[in-house]
Order: sequence, then C-alpha cells, then structure tokens
Amino acid sequence: MLRRFRPGWAAAVALALFAASAPAQPDDLAKALATLKGVTKEGAANDAAGPAWKTVVDAGPAAFFPALTAVDDANPTAANWLRTAAGAVAEKEKKAGKALDAKALEGFVTDTKHAPSARRLAYEVLVAQDAAAPQRLLPKLLDDPQPDLRREAIAHGVKLAGLAASGSGEAEKAAYRRLFGFTREKEQAEELAKALDALGVKANVTEHFAFLTHVRVVGPFFSEKGKALSLAYPPETTPAAAEYDGKDGKVTWQAQATADKFGKIDFNETVGRLKNACVYARATVHADKATPAEFRVGSPNAVAIYLNGKKLFGREEYHHGDAMDYHVGKGVLAAGENTVVVKVCQNNQTDSWAQRWQFQARVCDATGGPLPGLTQVVDGRKLPLGAITQPEGKK
Amino acid sequence: MSTTDTANATRGVAPGYAIPGRWPEDRAPLFTPKGWDNIARGNAPGNHARGHRGTAFPFRAALGAALTLAFTLTLGAADWPQFKGPGASGVSDETALPTEWSKTKGVKWQAKLPARGVSSPVVAAGKVYVTCSSGKRDDRLHVLCFDAATGKELWHRQLNATGPTACHQMTCMAAPTPVADATGVYALFATGDLVAFDPDGNLRWYRSLVGDYPDITNQVGMAASPVLAKDKLIVPMDNDGDSFLAAVDVRYGKNVWKVSRPRSINWVTPLVRDTAGKTEVLFAGPNGLTAYDADNGSKRWLYKDGGGAIPTGSLVGDTLFLPTKGVTAVKLGPDGVAGEPVMKAKELGTRHASPLVYKGRVYAVDGNGIITAADAKTGKLLFDERRKTPFSASPVGGDGKVYCVNEKGVTTVLKAGTDEYDVLADNDLGEEVLGTPAISGGCLFIRTDKTLFCVGR
Repeated sequence: MLRRFRPGWAAAVALALFAASAPAQPDDLAKALATLKGVTKEGAANDAAGPAWKTVVDAGPAAFFPALTAVDDANPTAANWLRTAAGAVAEKEKKAGKALDAKALEGFVTDTKHAPSARRLAYEVLVAQDAAAPQRLLPKLLDDPQPDLRREAIAHGVKLAGLAASGSGEAEKAAYRRLFGFTREKEQAEELAKALDALGVKANVTEHFAFLTHVRVVGPFFSEKGKALSLAYPPETTPAAAEYDGKDGKVTWQAQATADKFGKIDFNETVGRLKNACVYARATVHADKATPAEFRVGSPNAVAIYLNGKKLFGREEYHHGDAMDYHVGKGVLAAGENTVVVKVCQNNQTDSWAQRWQFQARVCDATGGPLPGLTQVVDGRKLPLGAITQPEGKK
Repeated sequence: MSTTDTANATRGVAPGYAIPGRWPEDRAPLFTPKGWDNIARGNAPGNHARGHRGTAFPFRAALGAALTLAFTLTLGAADWPQFKGPGASGVSDETALPTEWSKTKGVKWQAKLPARGVSSPVVAAGKVYVTCSSGKRDDRLHVLCFDAATGKELWHRQLNATGPTACHQMTCMAAPTPVADATGVYALFATGDLVAFDPDGNLRWYRSLVGDYPDITNQVGMAASPVLAKDKLIVPMDNDGDSFLAAVDVRYGKNVWKVSRPRSINWVTPLVRDTAGKTEVLFAGPNGLTAYDADNGSKRWLYKDGGGAIPTGSLVGDTLFLPTKGVTAVKLGPDGVAGEPVMKAKELGTRHASPLVYKGRVYAVDGNGIITAADAKTGKLLFDERRKTPFSASPVGGDGKVYCVNEKGVTTVLKAGTDEYDVLADNDLGEEVLGTPAISGGCLFIRTDKTLFCVGR
C-alpha cells in the first residue's frame, strides 16, 4: 500500500494548508473587499463573496476599518457582507483578549462621512471596550444621521437634563426644547412633548413631523374586485383638473383638514364607508428652493404617492397595519408650488377590522426630520407643515 | 367586535389590525433524519473516502477512523435540525428526557441571549443555533451558535435588516426557525434576509430577498421557516406583495427555481416527502395544499381542502395530519391525496400552534390555554383541559412524554399515549416562551425572550 503514497500530493496539501493559514496580503484584502462590494442581486456573486469574506476576516484587525469604510458606498446587500466581516474580526480580537484601536474607533464613530450603520458598529465595539465612551460621545451625537445613535444621545440628554433640573425649570425647558428638535421618533417625541407640557411649554408634535394636515380629496373612483392600485385615474397625472368621472358620476376636489396629532385623514368620515373604491388626496407644498425630500405615508389601505404628476411609490396591501412611515417615496420638490397626491384604495373585505380607510402623510428629510423652507398652501395661505386649524367646510 | 378583535383586545392589541391569528408561530419541517441530510449533500464519509481513493492504506484507515469518529460524534446526539425537529414531526426518539425542572434545578446550562426571538433553537452536529432580533425598529438580526454540551457561545453574527420590520407586537423579525446540518445553519428572518453560516461562523452566503424582490410586504410579520430538501434550501415567502416559494442551492444561495404564490400572509412551513422516486415540497396556503417537485418547482398536485395559514401539519408515514377544521388526516399516494379523510378531530384547537402526533394520539394547544388530545385513528376527543396561560409554542414529544410550553415559560409535561390527561409535572422557567423547544442529546432546549436553557442532564 505504501507504494501508492505520493509525496507530491502531500506537499501540495501542505502548501495549501500553509497558504490557508497565511495572513492575507494588502492586495488580497483590497481584492476581497472589492469582491464583497460587488455583490448584487439574487446571490449572483456569492460564489466569490464567501471566500472573500473569509479573506477579510483572516486579515484580522488590519481589515476592520477598511471593511467598515467600504460600507460607505456599498449597496445594502454588500453592506451586510462587509459589516459581518468587521464584526467577526472584532469578535475574534475580543476572544483573544485584545482590543481594537480605541482612538481610531472613536474617530470613525464621530466622522459622519462614514456610513451610519458602519459607525454604529464601531460605536458598539468601542463601548464594549470602554464603558465610559457613551458619556463622552453621546452629547455630540444628538443630530446624528444614525437613528440609534441619535435616539440614545437624546435619551442621554433627557437623563442629564433631569439630573441638572433647576428650581425654576428654565434650564430643563431649554434642554427639553432642544432635544425635542432633534428627535425623529414618535415615542420619544411624545415623551418630550409631555415633559415640556408639564413645564408649561407647548411642543407641537404634528408640526415637528411635518404632517400634511390640509388636503383636497376627490373620489370615489371604481376599484375592480377590491384592487384599484393598478387602475390609473386622471388625478394621478392631471391633479389640477376641476372635475373627473368618478365611480358614481362627476366628482370634484373637496377640502379636508385634520386635527389629529399624527395627521390621520379619515375618508369614512367624509367620502363614506365604501368598498371597492379609491380616492385621491392632494396637497400643495411650497418649497423656497429645490429640495430633495421623502414623502412618508402610513395607511391600512393600498397607497400610491405622486409628486407633480410623477409616481414615486405604490403598494397594494390591505388592513395589515398602518405603521407610521411604512411607505416611503423619494423625490425632489421644485422651487415654488408642488402638488403631492396620495392615492388611497379600499378593498372589499367585510370583516369589522377591515373597514378603516385613511392615511397619514408627511414630508421630511432622510432622517425623518423637518426640512427648512417648506410650507403647505391652503386657500392661498402658506401654513407650516403640520399646522392644525379649525376644520374647513367643504368647498 | 370580531373574534380577532376580541382576541386582540384581551392582549392589548388595538382593534382593526387584520391578524390572521393571534400571533405568529415559528414553524418548519424537514424530512431528513439526522445525518442522512449530510449524506445527501455530499458530506458523508463515503464521499470523502472516494476523494482519497489513491492514498495509501494507513492514511485511508486513519482517515476512515477519524471520519467514523466524527460521524459518531455527529450522530451521538440526535439532531433537531429545523422547526419541530426531524421531518417536522415534533417527535424525538431519545430516551431519558427530563420530567421536572425549574430555573435552578435540572438545568444543565443556560446562556444569555442578546434579544428576543420567537423562532425555535435548532441542534445539529453538537451545536445549537438561535436567532434573535433587536433594536428600536427590530432591525438588528442575530445568529448565535452555542456548544450543545456546555452552552459556551461559540460565535455571534449580526446583520442589518434590509426589508421592512413592521409587525404585530407578539412577533418579531426573528420568527422563522433556522435550519441546520453538519455544514452549518441557514437563517431566514421576517425581513427577507437569508443567510448561511458554516459551523465556525464563517459567512457562506447571504441574500437580501427584499433587495432582490422589492415588492415583498407584510406588516403583520412573517414566520414560515425554511427547510432543506436534499441539496436545496426551500424558502417560503408568502406575503401581501411578491409572494413566492423558492429553492436555492445550499452552496451559494442562488435560485434553482422560484414559483409564484397567492398574495397572502401565510406562516405555514413547507413539508418535504419522498414518493415514487420524487421529492415533493408540500406547502399549505390560502388556496389549498400544493405539492411541488423539489427538483424544478413544477406543481404536482393540489389538495383544495388542505389550505392553511398558520400551523404546520405532520406527516406520519403516508398519513398527513393537517391542522384544518381541528385536525384532519388524509392518506397520501404517489399522486396526491388518496380518497376521503381517514380521521377528523374537529375539537382540537389548532388555530396557532402546530399539532403533535405521538403514541397514537394527536395533541394540540391553543391561545386560550387549552390542551386537547384525540385518538389519531378515530379522531375521538380524549381530553380537553383548560390551563391559565395561552400557548404559542407547539407541543413536542419524546421518551413517552408530551411537552407543552406556555407563554409564561411553564412546561406542562404529560404522560403520552394515554387516554387521560395525566400531568407528570409543571415546570416554571419564569420567562416568556413563544418558540417551540428542541430535543437533542437527552435535553430539551427552550429559548425564552432572554435565555437559552438546556434542560436535562
């Protein structure tokens, strides 16, 4: 049997084993990161990405920041390949009882030109190494583009404001007002508004989130078998027309305003409790200058979002929740007046829980925060987005 | 107020949400007994040996011994590779399983989990895999691996969700149960993020299904689990938007086939069966139970009365127990359901948790805290006992016992195979449990919202 032993084969195996355990060279690391950044759809590059991931992790701490930096301009799929590699490097170091360069970590966290999710990972690694880091860093992160860092920074600020509360509460008021301006989350905004209210200060949640509170509504239009999203009606492309052919005859735009804190506009109250129907809500938003914006909608009904006659978003889902900001359309508001139209479709379900026909919509920046220079135009008047006035009569 | 709203109201859920059931239930099946999956996928000793055909005998003998040892170690403790274990049966062949325990007694080890999850732990080749999700938006996705013998955390990987994270408050993004074998773990999250790690935590491949198919949408949350069918990972993705069932190759995660499905939320996990030289994927949904050819995704047959939305059935030999109208059993032939149902047990509560077929009985638990059992042949109701706390986890069986874990972490252990409601013990872990337990190595693996418990010796 021994005659069948082949030294060449064994040498090749030994070489392969050596190569597998040898640290990756800078060129290898760069190529591996490029491979991970190159992943696209449907796993097309997965065969190359798996080995590349291992090359990055095997490179050790030298790969940590390059991998995180590569997230900056990576697509979401590639970003997960890269972040998990950085996370695996950090885990290995921790298990080996070693720490990553704390100064470099802090520098990465505070440099907002890096991808928010990569900065968050760097922050978590840093905090695991240095328990004092949050106290040092969070006060600088109140306006951070990374939602978790921002929320934690604001929560930290609330705690500090409470601890430092003066007898008069003036410092507290100022601190809470400032924190309220930074918050982007519903619960946190409500919490701060409540705290301010207790101090005698009104904080307007509706304006803070820039809800569209004044619209004109036209409809109902026909919805085939409870599905209307794919049926295109003229208000989508010609929202300035005075009247249209609706489900039951001519229909015209009717004013509708809401006093709901979160901008809920209910069609059951105004259009009626209909099935197999859709309506359009139109708002006029004035921008002082061309402004990139997000148009965020929550609704238990199927919705589509249009800006100046162009469709930004559409989704047909009924009665499975109405999370705020679930639907997002992205566009650029032109300088001057812009027409925002939201199509809201009601299906034909008869269940008691499937009767709601409503939506909420807001215009904001990419963090969910207010955009400067925007107003809603109501009967020729410019009002702040989110402004609540007395409900108008039908016009 | 509808039944759903009534149920929601009792749980503090605002009425008006269309929840197809009170909460999502993690579930999954697979038809490969321990180890056979590895063989089918080219990881068996024989395959390795063939790769070394030209080597000298001592080397081959040593290699053979090593592989035999590895194989033995792998199979020493029965794997529980997916939702409801081997073949989605919910049944373990192991003996000497625990009867009594508490947080401080009868627990072999416990490990802290980083966040909540309603998925089940799975066990393969001596490793326990668990998924969790965390964050204010529930957008951090975790896959953890523990040594099954000691509870030592071996690795912990995190992904950022690339799909929407809105869901009913009872569930979370870590709802689908992962599936594992000796080559590692495949984890699907309710966000549509799908990932494969090897046993050492190396990322083998990753897919963002919402990135690939942006019209996927589900504001209630997804919970159907992936399963393995030979060299393919079967990925159920029934939702309100781009619904599909797909098979991806286990090596790189690329689509082998993808078929459209009705646009409807569905938490049923597919079953896999071999019949007449074919492997079929049985997937219950709004239009009935559809059998797909696992090789190419073509439709083989449809059983319209076998529709489902939440719990998963059990395949026992050629008898399929479906959680429809209580539990209904049908015989399967090579071309589908043969004849009329052979058993109907209408009184069994199977709205959410999947039923268990064990020792000639069908056991079911429900959201009202009721445990029921029926004769598996006749459907005759044997008992119907109300407990105080709702059940989310599906019952599992082994060593002549049935384990029913309620939402507060109390496990009612029943003596199996009797016609009476015979409680052996009530064991309280004192933490929320929504995921179905796993059984392996003489232990029960119970994941709570905070902790992974290994119960046993």
